[in-house]
Amino acid sequence: MTAQDRLESLLSHNTLVVAGGVAAVGVAAAVVGCFGVLRRRALVGDAAAHATLPGIAAAFALTGRRELWVLLAGAAVSAIASLGALSLIRRHTRTRDDAATAIVLGVSYGAGIAAISGLVARGVAGSAGLEAFLLGSTAALTLHDSLLVAAISAVVVAVVLAGLKEATLVAFDPAFAAVAGWPVGWIDAVLVALTASMVVAALPTAGAVLVTAMVVIPPAAARQWTDRVPTMLGIAGFVGLVSSLAGVAASALVPRLATGPAVVLASAAVFLASLGARFLRTSWRPPGVSES
Amino acid sequence: MTAGVDKTSIVELHDVTVAYGRKPVLWNVDLSIDAPCLYGIIGPNGAGKSTLVKAALGLVPLSGGSVRFFGKPLDEVRGRIGYVPQRESVDWDFPVSAIDVVLMGTYHRLSWFRRPGRRERDTAMDCLDRVGLADVANRQIGGLSGGQQQRVFLARALAQEADVYFLDEPMAGVDARSQERILQVLSGLRDRGSLVVIVHHDLRTAADWFDRVALVDMRLVAAGPTAEVLSRENLTRTYSGHLELLDEIGRAMQTGRRTR
Repeated sequence: MTAQDRLESLLSHNTLVVAGGVAAVGVAAAVVGCFGVLRRRALVGDAAAHATLPGIAAAFALTGRRELWVLLAGAAVSAIASLGALSLIRRHTRTRDDAATAIVLGVSYGAGIAAISGLVARGVAGSAGLEAFLLGSTAALTLHDSLLVAAISAVVVAVVLAGLKEATLVAFDPAFAAVAGWPVGWIDAVLVALTASMVVAALPTAGAVLVTAMVVIPPAAARQWTDRVPTMLGIAGFVGLVSSLAGVAASALVPRLATGPAVVLASAAVFLASLGARFLRTSWRPPGVSES
Repeated sequence: MTAGVDKTSIVELHDVTVAYGRKPVLWNVDLSIDAPCLYGIIGPNGAGKSTLVKAALGLVPLSGGSVRFFGKPLDEVRGRIGYVPQRESVDWDFPVSAIDVVLMGTYHRLSWFRRPGRRERDTAMDCLDRVGLADVANRQIGGLSGGQQQRVFLARALAQEADVYFLDEPMAGVDARSQERILQVLSGLRDRGSLVVIVHHDLRTAADWFDRVALVDMRLVAAGPTAEVLSRENLTRTYSGHLELLDEIGRAMQTGRRTR
């Protein structure tokens, strides 16, 4: 590509449309991800993400349609089913949290891969495109798709901001919240549902395997800059915005670079820079103001 | 201890049994507390002291029995109950400041989605001041000492403006100065007519601090005025199988006699 080709490719209508949707997704995934990270349940989103694949395959096999909203609806259903299974395993067996998460993640991902490769092997028309949901591919997003994921993102951010007080309380001290009469189980369930929604909305961007990075890395980076929850949400959103835009730009410029890996690498760079900045700030603190 | 016909207990546990899985932790606890006081729940490690409080507050399910506050079920009186969980139960690296944590004590007076305003901030600041921490209000909680963290938790309970307070090991890992301050605040609550129930593991201080105690070792061994309950016989029954503590019991007996 010449320099001009590159510029044209970046500013093409398609790239801009995609960038708008992806930017919204990046912000919202990071904002809702803050509570997963603070609640120390970061991997729940990962289980939900891997569990979207069987739903995508099933939605395609049942309807024969490839519109994004059909596939994402299937993804949402199977993500919710997997979270239900996770909660049942935790409550009714002696399997611990991390093992239960690994089981649900592995089984549902295996089922998804088997289903998609089965469809491809049988030569079902259009099924090859489903593999884009593994690593993310924003090239095929239409304006309509972009609006859809942006709308989901807006709703998720609005709910999180409205319930900031309740979410913070439950994430910090669920026992205290429960005694004071807050429905801790329901608030937790809503947070998990919001996370699952963002995982689904971010699938076209990052793919099932890597989408968890969009939910976890920006909050982890933001935590290095602040000791306040609202500020953390703001910074995380900004990191999510920047890294998803950088990822989309990179994949538009580099042939055959999937969007997911590019987004992950961009946010990882921000995370490393944040760690470094924190290290410098804390080691430069004068001895008189140590924190203890 | 039977409550009079016309007098409702502040807290009444009737035949409370709790099991984790198939393992029973508490058996048939009958306990009623009728008057404001400093009430110690005492017993060896693993005796179910914390579980007793959590069961009373609905945090662990009852396998049997019932709990009433002011003669009513818990759900009708939550606004009158303050709670201080064990300090280790939360993540102190959480990005909130001392005042943020204390503000949580005012949340139950706010409706859904309403943010704390000026009045709540004033209340929270006042509560921090009462525990002697007004000057660290804006510090992230991980930067506080163990004693300060415990006092932040106490301030949050104060902000709940309750009639009954439950504190789970408020003196564990707390420096002497914080202990003194905490005890002073709790005594103040009692003097203003609140009941303060404290899970406590240190026998030596129990005799000095509490008006009444319950000795717990999976069952209720004894309950009543501190001087009567902390008898050699009761302590031996509670701590049998904990022979390494017999020394401590001896010392507790002496302290008990001194206060009498």
